[in-house]
Amino acid sequence: MIHARIVRQLSAYLDGELDPSVSRAVAAHLAECDACRHELAMLRQVKGLLERLPEVEPPQAVWHGLRARLAAEDRATVTILDTMRAAFRRPAVAAVAAMVVLLLVALPLVKGRIDRLQAADIGVDLYVREHALQSVVDPFVDRAYLGLLIGDANLALAGARRTPGEEP
Amino acid sequence: MMAVAEARKRRGPSFVVRAAVACVLTVAAAGAVASAQSPKPLPSAADILRTMFAAPALVDYEGTKVISTVQGTRAETVTILEAYKRLGRLRLEFLSPESVSGRLIVDDGLSAWQYEPSLHLVIRGPSFVQGTAHPERATEVLRRYRVSVLGREAVIGRDTVVVALAPGEAGSNRRLWIDEATGVALRTEERDAGGEIVYVSYFSRVSYSLNLPPALFRFRQPAGAKMLNFYVSGDAVTSVNELQARAGKDIILPARLLNRFAFRDGRVARHGAFTAAAAAYTDGVGVVTVFQTPISRMAFPNVGGPVATRTGRARFLDVGYFRVLVWQSRGMNYAVLGNMPQAVLIAIADELAASR
Repeated sequence: MIHARIVRQLSAYLDGELDPSVSRAVAAHLAECDACRHELAMLRQVKGLLERLPEVEPPQAVWHGLRARLAAEDRATVTILDTMRAAFRRPAVAAVAAMVVLLLVALPLVKGRIDRLQAADIGVDLYVREHALQSVVDPFVDRAYLGLLIGDANLALAGARRTPGEEP
Repeated sequence: MMAVAEARKRRGPSFVVRAAVACVLTVAAAGAVASAQSPKPLPSAADILRTMFAAPALVDYEGTKVISTVQGTRAETVTILEAYKRLGRLRLEFLSPESVSGRLIVDDGLSAWQYEPSLHLVIRGPSFVQGTAHPERATEVLRRYRVSVLGREAVIGRDTVVVALAPGEAGSNRRLWIDEATGVALRTEERDAGGEIVYVSYFSRVSYSLNLPPALFRFRQPAGAKMLNFYVSGDAVTSVNELQARAGKDIILPARLLNRFAFRDGRVARHGAFTAAAAAYTDGVGVVTVFQTPISRMAFPNVGGPVATRTGRARFLDVGYFRVLVWQSRGMNYAVLGNMPQAVLIAIADELAASR
């Protein structure tokens, strides 16, 4: 395992790119491992060969092709940004966009407020219903009256509140 | 001799015998009159309450009940056909007023179904009928209330014992006409602190010992009716700490209220997006429920009329047998419900505010 890891680091060791501590560990391993020493010698030989190769300038045609492709990619990016900028300069589109942003921000706030008001509207009905159900154990409570109270609270919770019949 | 005997036979019994028979008849008649005039001794308060609390397990009935409630300047009278079958099965058919006419509630002891014909709507919820007998609770009532037996009265042709319950530290002034033979309350009156009647419930007709068919207590959903399930209560917990863990640290949960009502159980009640911590307290007879909801989740409910409390903004609503006090304090909406007078609910509110 250590051997395999050292083999992968030999190239970097040769180029002097390893941390000092890792470099020391590789050197210690090389002192004991013939296979790694052989591998290092091979790498050093290849590197020497590469260094002796002459430098060659790329042909002008390659540069032209490369520049053309880079320019095309820049134009595509600019077109999208320009289209968006142009669109937002139109008042109607800008207003709709602002509305969407406003809705996204305001929707949870508005929903919270509606829920809060709705809770105030039905809260006491829920309280009466819950209390009536808790009062079943009261030995004096009238079953029929509990039925009337729970029934009215149920209707209010269902959104169809009963208006009690008034008497003069 | 034969002639004398024949003569006696023709005259009938002698004067002495006739006098003796007359005396016996006179004494017997006098005894009967005397026994009719001497009143049967009244049962004790404990005995008549035990009879009343045992009735749900012993007596079936069917009758027409009239309930009148007074809420401030408003009054409402509701007429209901009520049928009860042991143990804990109930059928209510609402006859009047028009706003409730046609409503049917069938409770089989496990679930209750409510049918509203005008909306073609069925609402299903938990049972609200206690079918078991609890005669031993008479002792608890006698400890909490001043109970007195006022006498006998006939109600719809039946002998009733009139019992008055006056609250001790908390409770309501109540008067019951209890059928001496069956234990069923044929008439109930409740009065406010000023002695005015605020709630009356009475049978205008009742029949006992009927073999009411079980099918009467089974609900059949009308074809095409919309069904809603309203099991709004969460699971009950019996410890204050557990309820606090479920409902949040901001709620106030004393173990006792007014040093009289002990914490019984609690739950987080839900309906849609709305939730409230509900804690039930009892003195062994009545129930007080305290609800708490953060003001961020519920605006102040505009119900009933304003009342002055030490807690600040508060409103009081009388729904007949129950009373509701709602108030806001330190970011929380509170409500306390019970069948006790307004002053007791306000005292509970003050105690809760002080314990915060």
